[in-house]
Amino acid sequence: MNVISRRAVNTALGALAVGLIAVATAGPAFASHVAARTTVTADAKVGEVLSIAVDLSATDGTQLPGTTVTFYLHMAFAGVTGEAEIGRAVTNETGVANLAYRPRLAGHHELRMEYVTPGDDEVEVVTTAFDVTGGEQLYESAAGIDIPGVDVGLLMAVLALVWLILLWVGFRLVAIARAGGTSAGSGPDQTS
Amino acid sequence: MAALSEWQERLEETALAPIRRTGRRFWLLVAFLLAVIGWGAYAYLVQLRDGLIVTGMRDRISWGLYIATFVFFIGISHAGTLISAILRVSQARWRTPVTRMAEFVTVVALVCGASFVIIDLGRPDRVLNVFIYGRWQSPIIWDVLAITTYLTGSITYLLIPMIPDLALFRDRLGGSTSRWRGWLYRVLAIGWVGNAPQRRSLGSAIGVLMILIIPIAVSVHTVVSWIFAMTMRVPWDSALFGAFFVAGAIFSGIAILIVVMAILRRAYHLDEYVTEKHFVYLGYIMAAFAAIMIYANISELLVHGYKLQEGVEFHFRQLFLAEFAPLFWFYLLGGLVAPILLVLFPATRNVRGMVAAAVLVVVAMWIERYIIVVTGLRVPLMPYEPRDYAPTWVEWSLLAAGLALFALLITVFTKVFPIIAVWEVAEDHEARVAPHAIEPLAVPETPELAGGVGR
Repeated sequence: MNVISRRAVNTALGALAVGLIAVATAGPAFASHVAARTTVTADAKVGEVLSIAVDLSATDGTQLPGTTVTFYLHMAFAGVTGEAEIGRAVTNETGVANLAYRPRLAGHHELRMEYVTPGDDEVEVVTTAFDVTGGEQLYESAAGIDIPGVDVGLLMAVLALVWLILLWVGFRLVAIARAGGTSAGSGPDQTS
Repeated sequence: MAALSEWQERLEETALAPIRRTGRRFWLLVAFLLAVIGWGAYAYLVQLRDGLIVTGMRDRISWGLYIATFVFFIGISHAGTLISAILRVSQARWRTPVTRMAEFVTVVALVCGASFVIIDLGRPDRVLNVFIYGRWQSPIIWDVLAITTYLTGSITYLLIPMIPDLALFRDRLGGSTSRWRGWLYRVLAIGWVGNAPQRRSLGSAIGVLMILIIPIAVSVHTVVSWIFAMTMRVPWDSALFGAFFVAGAIFSGIAILIVVMAILRRAYHLDEYVTEKHFVYLGYIMAAFAAIMIYANISELLVHGYKLQEGVEFHFRQLFLAEFAPLFWFYLLGGLVAPILLVLFPATRNVRGMVAAAVLVVVAMWIERYIIVVTGLRVPLMPYEPRDYAPTWVEWSLLAAGLALFALLITVFTKVFPIIAVWEVAEDHEARVAPHAIEPLAVPETPELAGGVGR
């Protein structure tokens, strides 16, 4: 095989790989008969209402009214990550579902939208992302007061002290047993 | 001195009598209690097989009869701490004939109470989750630590002052009792002969334990209260809960002790040692704690009612006027006011009056625990219709089995261990009739702590 043929084969394999990767990573919405397009209000700020629109249309260009879209926001709270449903909207006669959402936190937000088009059984998904600026969060709550020394260490110290005293009581029992063993028969029996 | 020695012989015979003689009524009682426990075991098997769906608990009211009974049992476990430790520290000598019974009640109530937490879990293997996934920040973990420590401390505090009496049993019953009993007394008496080093060690151990056990006991019921108070529920939102629970625990502990004392006194003819004086004195303490409970209730209800935050109106309505009104009014009038009146009136200030007051308190305090648990969860957190909770036959059966287990363990205890602290009662008696003739058996280094001079 000459160099040109080898390059042609490599190019073909590369193109095939890229195609496979594109198919594997494409959202289900793109793989279906529905085209979905999302738009989010630019310059979103914490506490201000923004509009999230999902435009659904068939591949032939006809709009898809009456389709319910559920919006999920990827969230992280107290070390736990997951998705929270932030609302639902139904597409209007132009095939657009609008959700008014007031972001509580600043930063990068990832959205996932689910819908089932009329005449179809499978849930289809489209994703988007947007950035929110402004204050760190809408609702400020006290983060707690860190008092030096008042922590698990203190709890352990108190507990250890109590158990040490109980252990000391245990040693007293050993002392009683040993004193009985060494002077059995010689000491006065005062049990009665 | 002959009279003294005759008296002491009589005391020892009274303490030994339950072990020497076992009548038909004892076995009938044991059979009945075992039957109730057996029925409870069947109910528990049903719960294990079908899950917690067989109970009245659901997602909104997820605690019910089991947790109420757990709190109740942990409460009455304070009987031993109060009578044995607080009265010992405060040099009240009249306590001596009832200390052992109080310590029995403590240990047995703790065992019964802890079992209700496991029953409430549904699947007992989930106890392991406490150790695998437990977080130090959780009051549940604090509770496990406190109860474990209290149970260890209480068993130690029951056994250590019993050593001289176990030695007495070892010596007096040697050869005339079953082999396992002889072995048990030999082992638990740990070679006690009553020599000076042993008395010193015993005295110092009791002296330390009687002080240590008080804060442990207080911490236990405080932490139990925090499980409620640290949950975001309007009726439980109170900083007073810890003190309120501890007061209620001591209150119900004295009441159950009076009831147990009355039963054992009658069953084992202890009239000479457990006298009307003991019932009346305990009645006085019970009345004082009833007054404290009335104060705590007024403080709690008035502050909540004055602010009337969201949910409180619903809570007050269910307590005073609606679903829980009969129970709540019985608790207030029958469990708090009536016992005080029974103690106040000279006509009822006797054994029967005190027992009647104590029975009222025991029933009312169980109801109080039930009301706290269920009404607290019944207040809706969101605008939905409140759910109702009604215990099922499975829950009632397990409650009956728990109470039967409590009675059975006390009954069995009385047949194995000395129900009266013989050496303490003897020491107290001798100190009264011949104050200079004897030297205290225990706590020689700290006679003022051992009750060497008080009445």
